[in-house]
Amino acid sequence: MFDLETQIHSWSDHLRAHGNLSDADIHELENHLRDEIEDLIATGLTPDEAFLISVKRLGNVDAISHEFAKVNTESLWKHLLVEPVDSLAKQLNRRDITLVVIFALLAGTLFKIPELFGFGLLDQDGEIKIFFIKNFSFFILPFIAAFFLIKRKSELKTWATILGIFILAAVIINVYPSFDPHHTEILTIFHLPLFLWLIVGATYIGREWQGSKGRMNFIRFTGEAFIYGVLVMAGVMVLFLFTLVIFQAIQIDVEKFLAEYLLIYGGCAAALITVYLVEAKKSVVENFAPILAKIFSPLFLIIMATFLIVMIITGNSPFMERDFLIGFDFMLALVLGLVLYVISARDIRQPANLYDYLNLALILTALVIDGVALSAIIFRLSAFGITPNKLAALGENLALLGNLAGLAWLYIGYFKKKFDFAKLIKWQTDYLYVYFIWTAIVAFIFPIIFKFI
Amino acid sequence: MNVSKDLIAASATPLILAILKDYDSYGYAIIKRVKEMSENQIIWTEGMLYPVLHRLEEQLLIESYWDKSEAGRQRKYYRIKESGLTELELQKKQWEIVHNALARTWNEESNS
Repeated sequence: MFDLETQIHSWSDHLRAHGNLSDADIHELENHLRDEIEDLIATGLTPDEAFLISVKRLGNVDAISHEFAKVNTESLWKHLLVEPVDSLAKQLNRRDITLVVIFALLAGTLFKIPELFGFGLLDQDGEIKIFFIKNFSFFILPFIAAFFLIKRKSELKTWATILGIFILAAVIINVYPSFDPHHTEILTIFHLPLFLWLIVGATYIGREWQGSKGRMNFIRFTGEAFIYGVLVMAGVMVLFLFTLVIFQAIQIDVEKFLAEYLLIYGGCAAALITVYLVEAKKSVVENFAPILAKIFSPLFLIIMATFLIVMIITGNSPFMERDFLIGFDFMLALVLGLVLYVISARDIRQPANLYDYLNLALILTALVIDGVALSAIIFRLSAFGITPNKLAALGENLALLGNLAGLAWLYIGYFKKKFDFAKLIKWQTDYLYVYFIWTAIVAFIFPIIFKFI
Repeated sequence: MNVSKDLIAASATPLILAILKDYDSYGYAIIKRVKEMSENQIIWTEGMLYPVLHRLEEQLLIESYWDKSEAGRQRKYYRIKESGLTELELQKKQWEIVHNALARTWNEESNS
């Protein structure tokens, strides 16, 4: 059965993926294609004939995008300065920029408020106080959440729920005592931002937070935001160092001032601008994380396969210290990231391609390596007793392992044509609950279990 | 008979400007109109038209806006600007010079 809409969509997807065209350009060309098809159908052709002829007349995608490229040489970066096509979009865009500026200023000022009451950011040794590190997410993430709540026109009830969660979380972790050597407190510091980021995710997805499409978009958003955040932050650092050096040349030391103002306000602004950029120009931005993932997934596969072979040949089993377990956690997280971003850029309608097989190979290798590592750590855990750190590292490992094992299972089923690809996406997006619950447990319940040590 | 590529490229700007002078239009309609006006002798490709339109827009000779088509789709229309009209007059004069010169030389040929 020939479905004209689907065909047109996959044609414009192809254009989007292969040309450096802006959204407006693609929209214009798609319209052109539709006009042509309508005219041909009017002369008595069937939809599939009309589609084929129209596509042929428009010419091959590479040639079109090549012609376009001559006009938009600065395209990629120009796209990022978002040129909305109609006035409503322009208004909304102006509102978003205003929000970004206001929120960045508010977030920065929030960092400075404790200082007014004599509670500065740094202690006597010039180290950042633990209070600020622990509460770091509360200075920025609520603003990002608010940005999305406004953008998605959320109801009052949603606002209240999200705000309630933030306040409750802030109260809990600040009321908890912490005793030497602060193991659970440090665990909270690492897990709380992840937990809160998932809350931000709920605001990002908005009304359809239970659907897998919205969640997949959030996963995409996270990857892009990470890459852009690193780039923007690098820019802030360059600005910082440059200002520092140039003022040193005239014997004025601005380091204290810069560290207290430029870095704080710049950091907050960087976070919000990143969110704004990634949100504003989804289609251009979408390209980054998947491309990085596609470049590195074969390389990782080679390294990991080599590691596995060497491990088997030499018979050296991994030496199980906690640090190594964390290392294996990172390996699993990396593999998950690579697999995820290859999946996220994938068109569900397309048949399996080389990267799907690479993904499966990558997952299976990671599972085998981690299986060996885990059997060692569980043995040692039972021999030397449980500490909060070991338990957290172990929990992470199991959560990631479960995620990857599920993906591998579904991939195999998909290759055997037992399931749709959509089932993989559903599994992955549903699995976010596991991370949500686990990070909540580590951040809020671990301290109680381990008596705040 | 096919018109040469160079000539098509050279005549693109004045043709587009002249069409837009009559009324606002969009890519597909412009191609159709040029085909009509030239009695099927000049057939533009999309790969050529849209870049020219975008370049004219960058040169501020024309501007674009989105509007609903009869079928209810969002369509990008182009409108000629003040400077576009001036440019069109200028181009007209230049083409007239070329045209006159050619006409005269060809007359001389047939006279002699």
